[in-house]
This record gives sequence, structure tokens and C-alpha cells, in this order.
Amino acid sequence: MWSRRGHGWRIAALTTIGTAIVLPLVVFVLGPNMPPGKGTPVATSQVTDNTVLLVVMTPFTVFILVYLGYALTAFRAKPGEEGLDGAPLRGHFRSQVAWLASTTAAVLFLAIFGTTELLADNGAGGGAGPNPVTKPGGAPLPVQVIGQQWEFTYRYPTYGGVETATLVLPVGRKIAFHVTSLDAIHSFWAYELGVKADANPGVDNIAYVETKKISTFHVRCAELCGLWHGYMSDTGHVVSDADFASWIAARKRQFAPVMKYLPKYSSSYNPDPTFRAG
Amino acid sequence: MTEFAHPATDYGVVEEEPPALLERNLLIGSRLWASSLVFFFFAFLFAYFYLRSLNQHGLFQPKGVSPPQAWGAVVAVCLAASAVLLSWGAVDQRSERRGLWRLKGVGALALALVAVVAQVVAWSTLGFGPTDGGYASVYLGWTGLYTIFVVGSLYWLETCLALSFRYRDEPFGRAEVEPGDASGDDYREAPDIRNAVHLNTAELAALTFTWTTMAVIGVVTWVVLYLA
Amino acid sequence: MRRRRLVEFNLLTGVVLGIVGFYVGWWLGHLVKAPSLDYFDDTGQNDIALFVAYFTGVVGFLVGLGFANYPVQRMLGKPPSLREKETEGIGRYFGLCTDHKVVGIQYLIGIGAFIFIGGLNAMLIRFELLRPTHLAWNGNNYLTLVGLHGTMMMGMMTSGILGPFANYFVPLMIGARRMAFPRIEALTFWLLMAAGTILMTALAFGGFPTGWTGYAPLSVQANMGMDAYIAFFALVGLSMTLLGLNMLATVITMRAPGLAWGRLPIFVWGTVSTSVLMLLAAPVLISTLFMLALDRTAQTGFFNDQAGGSPYLYENLFWIFGHPEVYILALPGMGIVLELLPVFSRKPLWGYRLAVTGLLGITLLSFLVWQHHLFVSGINADLRPFYMLSTELISLPTGFIFVCALGTLWAGRIRLTVPMLFALAWVFNFLIGGLSGVFLSDVPSDVTTHGSFFSMAHFHYTIMGGLVFAFFGAVYYWLPKMTGFELDERLGKLHFWVMFLAFNSTFGPLLVIGFLGMPRRVVTYAGYLQGANEWVSVSAFVLGASMLVFVANLVWSQVFARVPAGANPWGSKSIEFQLPSPVPVHDFDRIPTFGPDPYPYGGIEEAGFDGTRPAVSPARPTP
Repeated sequence: MWSRRGHGWRIAALTTIGTAIVLPLVVFVLGPNMPPGKGTPVATSQVTDNTVLLVVMTPFTVFILVYLGYALTAFRAKPGEEGLDGAPLRGHFRSQVAWLASTTAAVLFLAIFGTTELLADNGAGGGAGPNPVTKPGGAPLPVQVIGQQWEFTYRYPTYGGVETATLVLPVGRKIAFHVTSLDAIHSFWAYELGVKADANPGVDNIAYVETKKISTFHVRCAELCGLWHGYMSDTGHVVSDADFASWIAARKRQFAPVMKYLPKYSSSYNPDPTFRAG
Repeated sequence: MTEFAHPATDYGVVEEEPPALLERNLLIGSRLWASSLVFFFFAFLFAYFYLRSLNQHGLFQPKGVSPPQAWGAVVAVCLAASAVLLSWGAVDQRSERRGLWRLKGVGALALALVAVVAQVVAWSTLGFGPTDGGYASVYLGWTGLYTIFVVGSLYWLETCLALSFRYRDEPFGRAEVEPGDASGDDYREAPDIRNAVHLNTAELAALTFTWTTMAVIGVVTWVVLYLA
Repeated sequence: MRRRRLVEFNLLTGVVLGIVGFYVGWWLGHLVKAPSLDYFDDTGQNDIALFVAYFTGVVGFLVGLGFANYPVQRMLGKPPSLREKETEGIGRYFGLCTDHKVVGIQYLIGIGAFIFIGGLNAMLIRFELLRPTHLAWNGNNYLTLVGLHGTMMMGMMTSGILGPFANYFVPLMIGARRMAFPRIEALTFWLLMAAGTILMTALAFGGFPTGWTGYAPLSVQANMGMDAYIAFFALVGLSMTLLGLNMLATVITMRAPGLAWGRLPIFVWGTVSTSVLMLLAAPVLISTLFMLALDRTAQTGFFNDQAGGSPYLYENLFWIFGHPEVYILALPGMGIVLELLPVFSRKPLWGYRLAVTGLLGITLLSFLVWQHHLFVSGINADLRPFYMLSTELISLPTGFIFVCALGTLWAGRIRLTVPMLFALAWVFNFLIGGLSGVFLSDVPSDVTTHGSFFSMAHFHYTIMGGLVFAFFGAVYYWLPKMTGFELDERLGKLHFWVMFLAFNSTFGPLLVIGFLGMPRRVVTYAGYLQGANEWVSVSAFVLGASMLVFVANLVWSQVFARVPAGANPWGSKSIEFQLPSPVPVHDFDRIPTFGPDPYPYGGIEEAGFDGTRPAVSPARPTP
């Protein structure tokens, strides 16, 4: 009645050809352009991660789309067949097992790969809570990010706890962002650095990154925090060591008069609990 | 293909349903509702242990925040006793000792009401307020929602008792019921549940299961909030 | 001999009593004076009064609809009864009616109206995003639109398929004449209507800024519109719990003779798995919102870091509910699609057991993945590998659904009718949705995609592309059965193609925009994203216009053209299509018996049901 074996071979061939065409495009064209770019090692590893994910899904996607397209052309009811039924097939053990095995293999690979990437990059740029499982070697420069409605401010505890409204980082240094909040939940998202960490009141959420080149990057709040959430954005700078030293010295001079009004540097701050705002 | 239904409705022909179906509905429904109840209070159990383990700023349970032990024990004991009494009463009903079941049912209702009153007294003599830390919050939220559910379950118990009292003189399962009695649809020609009073036994079994679950949750509440 | 009442219990009485109840509650709430609450005097914001008003308003509404009559009668010892207002006539649609078919149609209209409002909000959101800077709405109004859109959709669409189609067709499919608890069935619908109205009142109290997630402490500090959100979601949660309970009890106890679990139509399995999630997850939501309400009224400190609580507690509890919730939205769509594909491929469902395993597997796993919403929040960072694994494991049962859908097409005789097109579009859209989900499940990749337009586009692919497409497939498939009149095929195809293309043209680019760094729920965005956002907005408007095509089709074919559909317009072998259209009030004369095969396509002569018993009762002549 139907040459089903023929259909199967054709779908397999089309899938193989399609994968063979798409896969190089994914690896060499799409992959390098995946977000968030190669600004830092963490960001680069996210690009790699995204590329690997694309590679793993490509054969499945191609297969399903090829199959759909093939089935809709080959298995359409021809004129005059409207009242007729198709073959009463209720399953096929081997293809079901093959599907289960291939999806299981893909899933386990993804989970193991994701875990190794996560551990290798000390949290992969994501907020890893107050006690990260893995810490980078050496002494990273601590920078505190304080989310508040509706701006981020930054404190440099190794420079007397000076608090600034702009984020400037020295190049070639490991940075430990200590993200906390004074009110609602915010999320510190430094896009090009590949860093995102929620700012929770009373929590010291740590994310590690290593700056690689002199550049600017965008900072946005990625967690809905109220009225001006949409305006809570900022530009950060990665500068040379000398520029950073002079910048931080200037900030210390500039803010010296207000330092005594600032609360002492701490991993989190206690605002007035009954404060309510729109 | 065969037709399964006539377009017009003739209730004299179609309205029949095996009575066992209604009983199974009630029993299965009560078990499903019990599983739902567990998840209602799972949220508070989670909140209790989560906040306790975090103990933000040492404010989970500051000194002086302690629940009124005596009233808590009264609540738990009354609820447990009420559940035991009701289960016992359900046995009586099954063995057609309907008078005894009514007695125990009233007792169970009274004990549960004592528990509710004791809980209200406990709230009024707390010695701490809602703003006094994580424990105070969990205590008030948990006991508050629990009491609402207890009152709701008591409504069910009351309807079972009321039905049993109303038909106390009728022989078991022989009560004459007006068509559409409780629903108010007085155009009905036949009752939509044949032998609705007979259902009392099944309803009681369903209620007993729910009420026992509630009592178990109540005892867990007591253990967690008062003893842990 | 019908007793005349001075005032009938119906929707009008319900609305009147609802409004009266609201103001009585408002007044009562303002009588509450406690030393600890003088805070409210300072701000003029009395959340207690609003909560009491919502409560009394809902009670008044239900009393007016007639929901109090039966409970009061029962308190007086009257015996139980099952049916209320199961009559012919249009009046039964505007009040408490226990006929599962009436409730189904009530759901379809009622939920449809609120979803239309939710969709309108989306149009207004996309209008604002035509420009990277402020265009039409200020920050608060924009966030309120975002919140109303998200909350309305996530709340109402939970019952979007179970409400209309499961209520209507599950009893038919299992050979029952009613649901297990018909009054609860009616209650779930009217609770939703009360909830939707309450959510709209948020506009009168200053809106709310939190989106559909309602994260504390933002939701604790927000103004009174937040109370509308809390009341809405709590009522939706209650409705969901009861709906799930009712569905499960019905399927467990009321299957007709011969209908073993392995013979249920797959749509019933989709309903069962969804109901399990509703029954168990929605209570957690209600309890969580109860805590939130206490934080806002009694000043408890559940979610207040400064008072011994933690915002993390809210995030955890919300997602313990929230992740099952998204599968509450996805599973019925899978059930619909797997139900439609056999009909229009003229084949049995391929891999029935695998499909059931898939549905139940998703049900189980969906309770174990909630912290994948919190990968960068700093909660339990050392558990991230576990949640990454459990999240990715969900793609196994989801893959089962896919392979069963594809296998059903194999060597079929496919007819591209409108319902079939929607079912096939589900396969495509859900594929994209699932694949984009892989990025979000992978922690390193999630660092960039979390909280961005990428994740927003992802769940629109799964919910709008999955659930809403399946919903329309079901509408085109079953509406002729529900009303007795055909839907216009050409308008239906126009609706499909416009909707499908506009949908992908809207949310495909949004995946890219998210990758390029645009966060969710923002009213301004970076200038370099303007072109893409304009494209998306225009596509979204076309998508909105496709809904108007549907409405036009609905009005034209159901009100004006009225072409009778006949009993079985699709040649389906499912049992509901062996009944007259529309289905008579009493469904079956006799409860049918079922044979072993729910999908008897492919040359097998005997149907899957009713081998032996006379279908039409002997007491009346066979027509």
C-alpha cells in the first residue's frame, strides 16, 4: 500500500543533509555572534555554551521540521480519499526506543556540560549567593553593587568604602561583585560582562568576573522593581590600571566630606522597614 | 453509527444513576480535597522552616515571643478528640445506630467549636504581635488560615447532623423526598437523587476522612508551632 | 407549578448584590481601628477595608447568583440534590446552572471576554514600545498594563481549555451525564468572573507595579491596586483547586462501563494531568497570597527582611506554585493537539502509552524544577546543577508528546482543515518554545537570558504559541458541536494564517531582542533596538487584528449564516460526535459502554464504544 521504508529513508537522508548544511552555519556563522559577546572570559564561555546548545538541538530541530514538511506533502489526503482512513499504526517500538535514547543522551550531556561550565567559571557570571561553591584564585577586587529604587550605586571597600554612582573597573583584574539591595528586588545585569545577579535586601549575592579589555558596558536592572524600573540603566567602564587609580583617588577626594554620613561598609544594609513607596 | 441520545429530554426516561456512584463521588472527592489541604498547609510548613533556618538578623523568634502553651494544647486535644469521636460516630451510622451517631456528631461539633474558641482566646492573649518576627508571622498566618478551614469543615458536619435530625423518625433509607427539594427547582417531577437520605452514610464517611485529615494537620500545627 | 420569586437569582441580582456587598465591606473595613494600624490614617490607604470589600462583594455576587440557597437549605437539613436550572432556554446561561454543557459555554464566552481584555493590554504595551523613550504611558500606567496583561492571561488561561472544553466534553467522552460535583463546577466559573472583575478594579486603586509574579517586597510596598491582584489570584487559585478536584473525581468515578484507564481519549488524560497540578499547586498559591495579604494588612513580616522574614520565601513559594502553573497552561494544549491529529490524519493516536507517560511525567517533574526561575537570585546556588538537570529532564516527556504527534502523521491521510492547521502550528510553535527553553535551563546561558525579552518570548511561544493555538484548534473543532452551527472555513483559514505568521513575526524577533540585552517589563530601551521593536509592535498589531477576524467569523457564522453543522462535521469517531448537535440537555439516553479502542480509525469497523447495549432507551421509539 505505502512504501513506508522509502519514506523513512528519504526523511533520514533529508535530515542528514539538512543537518550537514545547518551545523556548519551554526558553528561558524551563528555561534560566534551569540550573546553576550566576548568581553570577558565569563561572557566568552556563555557564547560557547550557547553555541553548544545550538549544536545539540540542531539535529532534533532539523529532523522535526523535515518530518513535518515531508509528512504534510507525502501523507496529504489526495482528492477522492477524504472518507478513507490511514494505516492503523499504534506505535513502533524501535523508533520509540531510538527517540528516547537520543533525547536522553542529549539531556544528560547538556546537564553535565552545563554543570562543568558552571563550576569552571565560578558561577559563570551569575549571582551565586553569599557563599559561592567555587571561588576564583587570587584576591579579586570587591565591588559592592547597591540596588535601590531606582538606581545602582557602587562601593569600593578596599578604597575606604567610597560610594559612586558610576561603575568603573580596572582592566585585567578579577572582580567580585557583591550585590545587595536597600528596598525591592533588583537585578544587576552587566550585559557585555556576562554578569547578572539579583539584588535582594539583606543578602550579599556574589558574582565573579574577570575584565579583559578596556571597554564600556551596559548596566540594566533585570528584575521588576517598581515605578522607574524601565529607566534604571547605566553605563560602566573598564579602564586601565592607571586611569582606575586616578579615578578612584579623585572620587575619594570628591566624596571625603560625605563619608562620615555614609553607613559603614557592610555586606548588606538595614533601611527603615516601614518605608513604603508607590 | 448508532444514535446515543434523543434530542428532546424526557426526565422520566433518562434520570437514573446507580446510587453507588454518588457515594464514590463523595469518598473520592474527600480524598482529593484532603490532598489539597495538605498542600495548603505545606506552604506554611515550608515558610516556618525556611524562615527559621534563615533567621534573618536573629529576628525569627526574638526573646519573649512564645505561644500560649496551655491554649495550644487545648486546641490540639479538642481537635483530635473531635476527630476520634466523629470516626466513632460514623461507625455507629454504618451499623444503623443513628441516634448514637447524632450524639457523637454533636459532641464532635462541640469539641471543635471549643477548639475554635480556644484559638481565638489564644490570639487575644498572645503577648506578641504580627510585627514581632518570622515566627509571629507564621504563627498568625498558619493558625488563621487553619481556623478558617476548621470553620468550613464544621459547616459540612452541621449539614450532616441537620439532615440526620430532620429525618430521624424515618426508617433508614426510606425517607420520602420532594423532587428538587434543596435545589429549589420545583418543576421537577422526580427527585434527581433517589434515596438522598441514604447518602448520609457516605457523606459521613467522606466527612470523617476530611475531618481526620484536618485534625492531623492541626496536631502537626501544634507540634511545629508550640513544641518544636 | 413554578413558584414565583419577587427577585430571581441571576446575573443581574448577582451584580447588584456584589456592588452592594463591596460598599458594605468597604464601610465595615473602615470601622477597623486598632492601635497598631494607625499607620493607615497617615496614608489614606486602607488595605483592610479593600480586602473586606472584595470579600463581601464576592459573597454578595454569589448570593445573588443563587449559590447560597442550596447551602442554607442543607444547613436546615434538606437532603442533597444534584441539579439546578437544567432547563432549556437562554436564561440558564445567566446564572447558576449545573448543566456541564451550559457551564462550558459560559466559560467560553466569559473567559474569552477577559482574554480579549488581556490581549488589548498587550496591544497598548506594544504601542508604548514603538519608541525607545517615553511615548504614551507613564511608568506606573505602563507597569499596570504589563501586570494586567500578564495576570489576566496567566489567571484566566489556566482554565482556558479545561473550563470550556473539559467541562463540556470530558463527561461526554467518559460517557457520563454530569460532572461529579455539578454545583462546584458552576461555582468555579462564577468565581473566575468575580476574579476578573476584581482585577480590573486595580485600575481604580492606582494599578499595581509587580507584573504577574507579584514579587515581595515590591508587592508589599505597592499601593492598593496590589490588593486587587491578590484577591484576583486567590480566587483564581480557589477556582482552579475546585476545578481540578471536580475533574479528577469525575474521571475517577464516572467512567462508563468498559472505559478502563488505558482506553481514555488522550484529551481526558491531558485534563487529568492538568487537574492533578491544579489540585496540588493552586493551594500553595492561595496560602502564599494569604501571607502577602497579611504582610500588607496586619503588618506581619513573612517577606520583610527587616522583620525576620525573607523575600526569598515569596520567590520560593510563588514558583512552587508557578512552575506547575505553566504546565497547567501547557498540558491541556498537548491533550487537544494529540486529540485532533488522529481525527484529521485518519489514524489512531501513535504511541498512546508513550503519550500518557509523557503527560504524567511532565506532571510529576513540574513540581521539582521551581528554582530554575531563581538561578541568579542567590538562592541555594549549590543546588543549581540539580535544578538544571531536573529542568532538562522535562524535555524527555515533552519529547514523548512530540514523537507521538509526529508518529500520528506518519502514513496518514491528512486533511488540512482549520483545526488541523492550528494543531500543526502547535507542533511548530511549541518546538521553538521548547528549544528556547533549553537556553533558560542552562545556568551559564541563563545568566544572559534570565529576566530578558528572551525568556518573555520563550514563554509566549509555549503559552500563546502552544496553549492559545491549541485553544483555537479546539474552538474550530468543537464549536459546531456546542452550538450546532458551522464556523466559516475560509474566514477560519484567513484567521489561522494571519495569526500564525503574525505570531512568529512578533515573538521570533523578540527572542533576538532578548539576546541583544533588552530586559522584560521596561518602558524604555536602548536606541539600537528601536527598529526591531517597531517591527515587533506592528506584527503584534496584526496579531491582534487576526483576533478580530476570528470574532467576525464567530458573529457571522453563528448569528447570521447559521449553517447547521450536522452531528459529525469532521467524520470523527470520538463519542461526542455521535450525539446530536447541539448535545441535548440529558446527554445520553442510556450510559454507553466502551470497547478497547479510543481511536478506531484505519479500517476497523466496530466503534470504540457501545457494542451491545441499545443506545436509545427502549421507553421511547427510536427516531
